[in-house]
Amino acid sequence: MSDLEWARFSNDLFNLALFAYLISMVGYFAYMAFRREPIWVASKAVLLAGLLAHAASIASRGVAAHRVPWGNMWEYSSLLAFLVVLAYVAVIEGAFKVRSLGGVALAFSVLTMGIALLGDFYVGPAPLVPALNSYWIKVHVVAAIIGSSLFALGGGVLTCLYLAKDFKERREERAVVPPPIMGGAIDLNDPPDFATGADEPVGLTEQTGRRGLLPPSAVLDRMAYRTIAFAFPIWTFAVIAGAIWAQEAWGRYWGWDPKETWSFITWVIYAGYLHARATSGWKGRRAAVVALVGFVSLLITYYAVNLFIVGLHSYKGF
Amino acid sequence: MACGPSLSLLRSVALVWRTLRSMRTALILLLMLAGASVIGSLIPQLPNSPEKVFGYTADHPLAAEIYSRLGFFDVFGAWWFSLIITLLVVSLIACLIPRTRGTVRSVRQKPIQAREIDSFPHYEERNVTLPAGAATTVCRKVLRRKLFRVAASENSLAAEKGSAREIGSLLFHWAFLLIVVGAIYGKGTGYSGRAAVIEGETWTDSLAGYDGSIRTGRFFGGDFSGSQIRLKDFEDTFRASGIPMDFVSRVDLLNPDGSLVRAAEIRVNHPATFAGVRVFQYGFGWAPVVQVRDDGKLLWSGPVAFSQDTAPEGVPQLALPWRGVLKLPSLDPQVGITLELWPDGQAFLQTQLTGQPVVMVVARDPIIRFTTYSGPLTDPSQRRLDTSIMKEQAAGILGQGQVVDLTTGRALETGADPNAGLTISFPDLRKYSVFEVSRDNGVWMVLLAAILVLLGLLPALYTSKRKVWVRLESGEGRTILKVGGFAVQRKSQFSKEFSDLVAALERAAGKVNP
Repeated sequence: MSDLEWARFSNDLFNLALFAYLISMVGYFAYMAFRREPIWVASKAVLLAGLLAHAASIASRGVAAHRVPWGNMWEYSSLLAFLVVLAYVAVIEGAFKVRSLGGVALAFSVLTMGIALLGDFYVGPAPLVPALNSYWIKVHVVAAIIGSSLFALGGGVLTCLYLAKDFKERREERAVVPPPIMGGAIDLNDPPDFATGADEPVGLTEQTGRRGLLPPSAVLDRMAYRTIAFAFPIWTFAVIAGAIWAQEAWGRYWGWDPKETWSFITWVIYAGYLHARATSGWKGRRAAVVALVGFVSLLITYYAVNLFIVGLHSYKGF
Repeated sequence: MACGPSLSLLRSVALVWRTLRSMRTALILLLMLAGASVIGSLIPQLPNSPEKVFGYTADHPLAAEIYSRLGFFDVFGAWWFSLIITLLVVSLIACLIPRTRGTVRSVRQKPIQAREIDSFPHYEERNVTLPAGAATTVCRKVLRRKLFRVAASENSLAAEKGSAREIGSLLFHWAFLLIVVGAIYGKGTGYSGRAAVIEGETWTDSLAGYDGSIRTGRFFGGDFSGSQIRLKDFEDTFRASGIPMDFVSRVDLLNPDGSLVRAAEIRVNHPATFAGVRVFQYGFGWAPVVQVRDDGKLLWSGPVAFSQDTAPEGVPQLALPWRGVLKLPSLDPQVGITLELWPDGQAFLQTQLTGQPVVMVVARDPIIRFTTYSGPLTDPSQRRLDTSIMKEQAAGILGQGQVVDLTTGRALETGADPNAGLTISFPDLRKYSVFEVSRDNGVWMVLLAAILVLLGLLPALYTSKRKVWVRLESGEGRTILKVGGFAVQRKSQFSKEFSDLVAALERAAGKVNP
């Protein structure tokens, strides 16, 4: 096949994957509402088919362009959406054994892919401009996309669900005295070493949580924390790899370019979140708000900087 | 009281110190740093995009005045930004010293025996066959093998594991501090600037070599290396669509005395390092060789580095012509010439005919459009010509190899005396390469610190501190094994670890078969 045919093949598979995600998303929402096993089985099957098509789409894009398939905004968006779905399947369904959140995770990916389509990010496969032609791009961009997809899952999707569920639980349980917050105050006489674990759930536990569309808030809270704690070192690494790349390409590892600045801001906010979790009175809802602010900052890092703020990282098309 | 004022001074110093020591202060300072960065990314910055700052100042004079007073046009160089960084460093140190001391103490300290072990969140009892003394010894071995730190007293053991969490956290924070220190040191003692070198010419690392584009650190003493770079050849490769493929500068790196260090190829992502500076491929441009003769006398002969205006929205940068200025101060009246190079003459024609911009990436029948002005040269710059009090004399087009009269704008006819009048010719078209030259001795410190940040982060986030107590009591011909324990973090994972540990201890101390 010629490069052009590979590119067309990649686009067809992209559309197929988007279509599959849409159907699967509707299915997952139906499962969340009705809790019928066959709905979940069918949705999961469509989801996996979509994931497979998406993987093939990304791979054939790489074949068409003769390079790694993450060189511009279109390709980042596709890969980001793919990794969010993959992370959902592996982490939330695989590790946490929670099945009811597929619709929300898929909605994020569908949105990302939809914005890529409607925002006219598409550019034909082409070789990279010299500055992007470094092996650090492979390392930096992969880490950045994995980090963003996990932040999107933890700081965006799961945190929103936690806040929604927490709001509902508090309204329903207003009569019940809430359990005391097991906060470990951080001060010098009581260093965080001895503080209660930052990853311990706040609020109702699995046993006491009532059945509903969503898992209990305590479970959502813990999943959000774990996902963010998983993403943070990856993001840190992505920023460091980006600095090394910048040193090689532009002669300075840090120049307060808008992308650098915003990835640093995102990093600071999530660092603040992790500290907040270890501080008394800052768990649960208040920490969740910090995580949401971090998510907004992530979106600015990803979209606004590329599209609206001109800097060295404005890679939308060429 | 005589000691009153000094006491209150001491108190307020202590109060400031206590405030700086709290994690809350460090976090607030970190968030202030983030907030300042937001401002820096939304408002155009002088070091990054000066032309935008000037544009903004023209459009919003009042806001620009306020921003400029507040230092918003150079956030990362503003005094208050330095203040935030300084306070953050002090606050971090103030946080970290006592924490480090506490950790060292707790790591040195033996695990403490517990009085009541059955009240811990995890507690198990087992009957075992070994006598209490021997069972204590084997249990101690089991715990040691599982990397617990163990303290023993008579028939009871106290063990703990997972100091890596706190040590990792400390490493992370100290390393973060080291990044800031390394960056301040490197930027403070170093410099960076742009060097434009025309093919065939030699450039010297000195203040004059940077032509005003130099940025020096606060503690830089002016000791430029004096080393030289001779550009032998610059090569750029483009695709037909104008997307750049590769830029290569073939250079000789020279000692200050002109002797060769080595030849090198500098390309994007492949800088050259020598004499303590790093040289990066940054940009390129055209440098036509121009000769001006006045009645046969050579007034100017040599390459002139041309530059481009910033392309308007929707127009490819490489479709724009290149501009240069030539000044002839020795003439009376003085003469200044503005030159506009179209490296691709066919693209020029096409643009004139269709109005569509055409990207010019290779030289094909290059032409120079020029305008001659006569009058006093007031602007001392080599790049600009102030024509406000000058008189436009002539304009014309100059092809490569042609000789054109500057006063009429017309090409000399064949057979005309080439030594008559003021003429300009364009014998050759060269390129120049722009290098970003920088000296930053702190890079290695920052890189090392960044690696330590990552190394510290992993145990700080993913390990947990666990404490276990074991007691062996003799009774009724059997020994009772009692195990209690808890995890400070990751409690949900500890249940399984604890029951595995109890099983291992029971096996070692002789399991009683039912």
